[in-house]
Amino acid sequence: MSYQSANIVIRALPPPSRGGGVFKSLLSLLFPLSLACASLPSHAAAVPVKDPNASGELIFDYETHPPGTYTLQKIQHAASGQVLDTEGRVRALADSFGSGKVTLLSFIYSSCADPNGCPYAYTVFHLIKSRMEREQPQLTGKTRLVSLSFDPERDTPEVLKLYAGADANAAKGMQWDFLTTASLRELIPILDAYRQDVYFDLDPKTGQPLGTMSHVLKVFLIDRAGDVREIYTASYLNPDVVYNDILTLLLEDGAALK
Amino acid sequence: MSKCNNRFSLQALVAAVSATVALGVVALPSLSHADETCNSPFTPLIKGQEDLVYVWTLGVEGIGDGSDKLVTVDVRPGSKTFGKVIASLSTGDRGEAHHMGFTDDRRYMWAGALDSNKIFIFDIHSTPAKPKLVKTITDFAEKTGFVGPHTFYALPGRMLIQALSNTKDHGGRTGLVVYNNDGELINTIDMPTGTFKGVYADGYGYDLGINPQQNVLLTSSFTGWNNYMMDMGKLVKDPEAMKHFGKTMAIWDAKTLKPKKVFEVPGAPLEIRWSLKEGDNWAVTAAALTGKLWVVKQDSSKEWQAYDVGTIQTESPVPLPVDISLSADGKGLWANTFLDGVTQYWDFSDPMKPKMIYKKKIASQVNMVSQSFDGKRVYFTTSLLGNWDKKGKGDDQLLKMYNWDGKKLAEVFSIDFYKEKLGRAHHMKFQAINLKELQPLQARLDGASTQGKLALTDLLSK
Repeated sequence: MSYQSANIVIRALPPPSRGGGVFKSLLSLLFPLSLACASLPSHAAAVPVKDPNASGELIFDYETHPPGTYTLQKIQHAASGQVLDTEGRVRALADSFGSGKVTLLSFIYSSCADPNGCPYAYTVFHLIKSRMEREQPQLTGKTRLVSLSFDPERDTPEVLKLYAGADANAAKGMQWDFLTTASLRELIPILDAYRQDVYFDLDPKTGQPLGTMSHVLKVFLIDRAGDVREIYTASYLNPDVVYNDILTLLLEDGAALK
Repeated sequence: MSKCNNRFSLQALVAAVSATVALGVVALPSLSHADETCNSPFTPLIKGQEDLVYVWTLGVEGIGDGSDKLVTVDVRPGSKTFGKVIASLSTGDRGEAHHMGFTDDRRYMWAGALDSNKIFIFDIHSTPAKPKLVKTITDFAEKTGFVGPHTFYALPGRMLIQALSNTKDHGGRTGLVVYNNDGELINTIDMPTGTFKGVYADGYGYDLGINPQQNVLLTSSFTGWNNYMMDMGKLVKDPEAMKHFGKTMAIWDAKTLKPKKVFEVPGAPLEIRWSLKEGDNWAVTAAALTGKLWVVKQDSSKEWQAYDVGTIQTESPVPLPVDISLSADGKGLWANTFLDGVTQYWDFSDPMKPKMIYKKKIASQVNMVSQSFDGKRVYFTTSLLGNWDKKGKGDDQLLKMYNWDGKKLAEVFSIDFYKEKLGRAHHMKFQAINLKELQPLQARLDGASTQGKLALTDLLSK
């Protein structure tokens, strides 16, 4: 549910022994640049340049905790529902959880043009994926990203496949599932379970949909047992924290970090 | 202005309260926080006109059904029922209704009772003008060991609760409790006690507030069940009881909920308000028993410190500041002083050198103040605690609304909660009838139209 661009600035302090700070330079550089550059897949090009009237920047001005030095409480069991993968196959959303993998789930729509919404989540997911593959390649098989569309009308499996590009069904590295639903009837119970409010923006003069949607970006960290262990909202989605949280859950299960 | 030090003394506190009693005034400050500007940063806000004001109301024997109730008041300009009570939802129980807080999606509101320890969860999104009670948590004390669920503060998917007391001795040592949004207990955390990095930590609790950009949680301290449920006349004559008020604030890691530092802030520091102004990283509180305003911020070496920045003064010998409300731009602070029923407005353009620039008498007593996000409308209620409110003629129980033009308050309406047979008017929260108007704190939406939206669920129903 955000309307203007915001420059994301990670003012992280020097990183602790492992896990922190790497995203500082990456994100502060990548995110503004991602609005115009071609280093990201094609959908990123749809994102407008930074609104010159935008007043804000999101600041994370704290030191993150090393993985395994804290506990993430079990918040709730991750809800399931009927979804479609990029091949159009019917699946249970819960099939994307558990199975020995720690999962990061977000709700997106492919035509989202709000830099503080889906593109930001996409950027964070991409950073998590590349960092995991670079720093903890032995654990990429124990982690998974899931992007579930809340725009089933436009985000058909075929469209999502294009949106995902090389990220979907990658032969190696961290798994990234792009999912949609057959219709709102399948989608809305899922959104309700995750308390994810979504609105169509309407033209104030005509009352007709503008084609954009408003939502408060939420990202859910789900453990190998299918329990939600952390929830991040857009304004406070710090990729360094997310990365360390993933490793913390992996350490619970005896994973060995590099 | 001075850096936090140990200037507070029990003797001064007792003397101050005794002076109050000697003057025939028998009340101490209590607890409150209201306000669109003090909601959790994880809760979407009403940045325009609020439609409804919910008032969590203490039941009074002989008044109506005598039960605690959630009262809904219509504040839509131009409405036929503007300034009127349009709904009253009785809990059927009288347990010292006190404070409320929204869930992170603002669909539900949790409301606590300090004596019964019950927590009521109201659905405020299905029909906001007519809330429904959907769940009552009755085993808070049994499951947590804490008493007096006070502050309700949304975390993503969870509710963080600051308790006031404990089941063992009903004193001031207490803790934090985390539930998920379904009302299932997740975790309990003790407040810091003993010597904490060289500072005595009393283990007391009162209010809390999170600064997510700094990943810090700030807490304050009040007193336990033994005191807040005691008759005030008896309390102020009990020197031993008067020793048991909070003297500390603590800053925590908001991610891990582990304390990082304890500050000596004598005199029961109560409400915590973080400045929402972009780039600001300071919070303010008022110490009830000393009248001191304290600002918590980082020093030049990024170490969190507590600073005494000013003193609230009144014609009464004891100012007893109770609720405070900080404007969204961090430049103005409303501070209510209970005993004289006056609200003061402080210029906080320089938070380290605030100045009182306006004051107005609201009623014979005043406790809570709640301002709209734009600061143009200010609401007041009058009840502290069932056993602490003034007796007889001085026991005004009102909800009053004013317009604020930056120079003076102009009264718009007043509702007498006794005449309406409701009870004691305590905590206020705002709500929008159309939840699509809600905006995240960080959305930078000022001025943007939010009227044209269609919920996915609406589309499905069509």
